[in-house]
Amino acid sequence: MFAVSRSSLLASRAAFTRSFAAVQTADKHTLVLVRHGESTWNLENKFTGWYDCPLSEKGKEEVVEAGQLILKEGIKADIAHTSMLKRAIRTLWAVLEESDRMWIPISNAWELNERHYGALQGLDKQETVDKYGKDQVLQWRRSYDIPPPIVDTTSEHHPASDERYAASTFPEEFTESLATTLDRVVPYYNDKIVPELKEGKTVLIAAHGNSLRALVKHLDGIDESTIAELNIPTGTPLVYELDEDLKVIPQAGAISPLQGRYLGDQDAIRARIEGVKNQTK
Amino acid sequence: MKIIRFLSLISAASAFSSFTGSSLPRVPRSSSCLDMKYTVVLVRHGESTWNEENRFTGWYNCPLNDKGKGEALQGAQLLKEEGFKFDLAYTSTLQRAIKTLWIVLEEMGLMYIPIVNTWRLNERHYGALQGLNKQETVDKHGKDQVLVWRRSYDIPPPPLDESSEHYPGNDPTYADVPKADLPLTESLKLTEDRFMVAWENEIGPKIKEGKKVIIAAHGNTLRALVKHLDGISSDEITGLNIPTGVPLVYELDDDLKPIPHPDGIAPLTGRYLGDLEEVKQRIGAVASQTK
Repeated sequence: MFAVSRSSLLASRAAFTRSFAAVQTADKHTLVLVRHGESTWNLENKFTGWYDCPLSEKGKEEVVEAGQLILKEGIKADIAHTSMLKRAIRTLWAVLEESDRMWIPISNAWELNERHYGALQGLDKQETVDKYGKDQVLQWRRSYDIPPPIVDTTSEHHPASDERYAASTFPEEFTESLATTLDRVVPYYNDKIVPELKEGKTVLIAAHGNSLRALVKHLDGIDESTIAELNIPTGTPLVYELDEDLKVIPQAGAISPLQGRYLGDQDAIRARIEGVKNQTK
Repeated sequence: MKIIRFLSLISAASAFSSFTGSSLPRVPRSSSCLDMKYTVVLVRHGESTWNEENRFTGWYNCPLNDKGKGEALQGAQLLKEEGFKFDLAYTSTLQRAIKTLWIVLEEMGLMYIPIVNTWRLNERHYGALQGLNKQETVDKHGKDQVLVWRRSYDIPPPPLDESSEHYPGNDPTYADVPKADLPLTESLKLTEDRFMVAWENEIGPKIKEGKKVIIAAHGNTLRALVKHLDGISSDEITGLNIPTGVPLVYELDDDLKPIPHPDGIAPLTGRYLGDLEEVKQRIGAVASQTK
């Protein structure tokens, strides 16, 4: 009934023989990841986390380019996933518009949100360093499993204060590390995205630095210390090909430790990966 | 034993509601307690590039032009000012409606709500006329014939051939739609028939679940919906013009029948947002374009 709704998709599978093209592509599983572009709070140097700030003007341009690269590559996404945060959703919409796939189904999942920054969310990075000291802040930012201090339900930054999260429950004292982010990203990937890939769907995910770190750590088997330092450039499509068992097929041109490949000017991308490292983001 | 279980249920319920931050218990209200009232908002997309080129558009997937984007933004601002909120959005597979919806959701800070894209909300398919310039078509077939195709309730334009680029079977967008459902041409009646399947089976039930729904769609699918809601006759519906970009709000009772609004502009019982005098003029103005 509904051309692109998942339930009708699954229902109609039984009723209709798959076309030759569908049988061919069933063996190939393509997953495209895009980290959202620069946001207004990146410019203001604040800890963002789940705060719902928009893309900056530069960020909006970045994501248009991402869509054009995907179009040029001939990748046709069948289904998309993104977070509940507008900087990622806006990224996805721009990519879909540029690649002429605006009609595909989109799932918005808090499980793909950026890592929540607990009590640091909303604070200026420099002020936080002044208050807690450089080493402590570095630990909160770069540790794999040590989370920042918690927020409680009285805070505007606690998910209970935001009706978009009303369907889920969160602990009264809330904060996240990269480890706990992975604990909610990977199950979402396994439960929702893996079945789609198995059906032969090309899946597009527009998300955030840490939720994508969690996902590539899982896909590429990256260790904890390496992943905490890994930088995924914004607005740069990262393409994974997976085999029938959904194991990653290492791509030519992949930049270690990732096995997926970035689309675009490879030298510029390498420079960006190195460059971001030096910002001690 | 029973008392202990009862007490633990109470504390579980209050703990649950404190997690979710809601101060009310999550207990569904029975319909005998209250008269249920639902709200659904309709928005017709604004001007597209092919409107400018004066072509029969139908299922052709042209984008909004800048004016159309502005119309969507204005509609969004009206909704925002009146404090509307939505949980669920429906739109077609055509980008001019999708973009309209995206502009509205962005302006309202609701980008995270689920969106369902369905071909059943697509504009009426214009068959073999799709893509043709309106004036050229009049020159070819005569003014009266073209008027019949455009304004008849149940006489569709000439059908496409399946080899045509305009045949939805050749468009990957519709790869999962059963071939028997894909049109070679459509009248308003056929459009209504295929739209109503979505209303009855998907959209209506969601509204009854309490979802606050916005529908961003096209002239003829919104005609189909208001015809159903307001019981408008086949003759009257073909002449009815729904102004682009102006939110049209219906409040529905428990049976999804409209609760007439005093500001409804006949034959509609829903109300348009914004300056009603301006809206009335626009309704009249579109009529004279013999669209």
